[in-house]
Amino acid sequence: MRVAKPTVLLAFLGPTLLLLIVLRIWPATAAFVDSLYAPRSDQISLDNYRFIFSDRVFQQSLMVSAIYSLIVNPLQIAMALMLALLLNTKTAMIGLWRTLVLLPAAVPLSVSAVIWGIGLRPDGPINALLMTMGIDPQRFLTSPDQALWSIILIVSWVGVGYWMTFLLAGLQEIPKSLYEAVRIDGANRWQTFRYVTLPQLRRTLTFVLVANTVANFLVFAPVQILTQGGPRGSTNLIMNEIFTLGFVQGDRSSAAAATVVLVTVVLAVVLIQFRMMQAPEDNAA
Amino acid sequence: MTTRRFSFRPLAAAACGLLFFLPIWWVAVGALRPREDIFRYLSPLSWRTLWPTDTTIANIVMLFQSDFTRALFNSVFVTVVAVAFGLILCAMAGFALAVMRFRGREFVFFLIVVSFLIPFDAIALPLFGLMLDAGLQNTYIGLILPGIGNGLAVFLYRQFFLGIPKELREAGVVDGMSTFGIFWRIYLPLSRPAHITAGLILFLFQWQAYLWPLLIAPDTKYKVAAVAIAQFTDNVEGTQYNLIFTAAFFIALIPMIIITYFQKYFTSSVASMGGKG
Repeated sequence: MRVAKPTVLLAFLGPTLLLLIVLRIWPATAAFVDSLYAPRSDQISLDNYRFIFSDRVFQQSLMVSAIYSLIVNPLQIAMALMLALLLNTKTAMIGLWRTLVLLPAAVPLSVSAVIWGIGLRPDGPINALLMTMGIDPQRFLTSPDQALWSIILIVSWVGVGYWMTFLLAGLQEIPKSLYEAVRIDGANRWQTFRYVTLPQLRRTLTFVLVANTVANFLVFAPVQILTQGGPRGSTNLIMNEIFTLGFVQGDRSSAAAATVVLVTVVLAVVLIQFRMMQAPEDNAA
Repeated sequence: MTTRRFSFRPLAAAACGLLFFLPIWWVAVGALRPREDIFRYLSPLSWRTLWPTDTTIANIVMLFQSDFTRALFNSVFVTVVAVAFGLILCAMAGFALAVMRFRGREFVFFLIVVSFLIPFDAIALPLFGLMLDAGLQNTYIGLILPGIGNGLAVFLYRQFFLGIPKELREAGVVDGMSTFGIFWRIYLPLSRPAHITAGLILFLFQWQAYLWPLLIAPDTKYKVAAVAIAQFTDNVEGTQYNLIFTAAFFIALIPMIIITYFQKYFTSSVASMGGKG
């Protein structure tokens, strides 16, 4: 390889690099710098962080986001994995069922929010179904106990099929010979899953776990459209809190500090998950 | 695998497929029925709940006579432009990182990776402040620019180009091709799977975006469909659910067609990316 001519290199790399620096790295840096200056102060300090962390609303938002993450990620991945195992077969019309599970993934989250917002109305079809089954109608999005679960439903309807496709592709890459080998050894279904499928799927699962966790930290449209964080702050996920701080209340300093907190948490979670999913046998193999 | 022994499996697969599809079907039915029928067949539930009896295209006609037409056009326009420019620019950057030798290449690659590890929505608000100062609110440029430079697409192209044998490139040099010629006539034609995956990433980013267009393009003239549907105004008779259903159907239809069509590439290429990444 010869050293590239600067003009040619600039033509190929320049535009994209400029876009990424100006539109991704610069605003992230700007948020970091802004977060260090309290309003009307030219001294670097942690005042903005002290302020948001002592703010009850922000504390509750962190709590809600943590609870939401701990529920939604395992739930979606477990469902996606079960669906992938179910649909990893060659029966008639399987292609159609796969496509139907994937289709909601094409629906923008704002559209999913609007549709389910109507579906979960007090006089909507979900309550109609519950009543047919002899269950009392529920308040869903207007109940502090059910609103977060409603958001989880809205997000999972588009998410599960999406992550399922990755896991399905991962399952199909597992060599058939491995399954035959353990069958000869007399392994049962659970043992096959535990000692063949799961280890072979580790890389795909890592990718899905990390990407899904990041995506779920950023959920915003359903909250902003349907609940604005309510009722009683029960759905005030971190993105909605940042939006409320920065855009609705115009408190750019607090929004910048909250943004830095979010980005830091995202990067930390990504790192931890990669560590955790690294198996000892990866080194041996 | 041990599939054939269990006969309930096709049934379970069908049930899951239909369950996921049900809300889409309900929206499509709602788009085709008169406004007063939307909540009419709910108690008790009957076959009419999920089957339109008095089908009408009045909703569609009404929807496309409203501001929504403009919003849908905006979505299509910004998505087409972002995907077209994004593909070519990200491919060029990926090419530079894969085949060119220059000082600081590792650092540039590091910047690319950092740029896609920082989630865009997380920095949307600070970026909005910068764009506001630059006078880019309510412009197509403001809507499109963040969708063009995509670190993940660059990364994907780089990985794919690294797999193309360097003998092909050397043959091109012997034939007297320019760097751009090698890129355009050798690398791009060989990279169909990368184009499709990168194209899908860029497409979904732009089409599904909500927070960024909400901030940067609130004006009716530039509002995109994903934002417009959340802001349907009530008229004297209350919320126009019939129009919301119709709009939801059209916003979802375009990505549904694209994802279904490219389903095979979508799964295989992104899965291998997950493995390598």
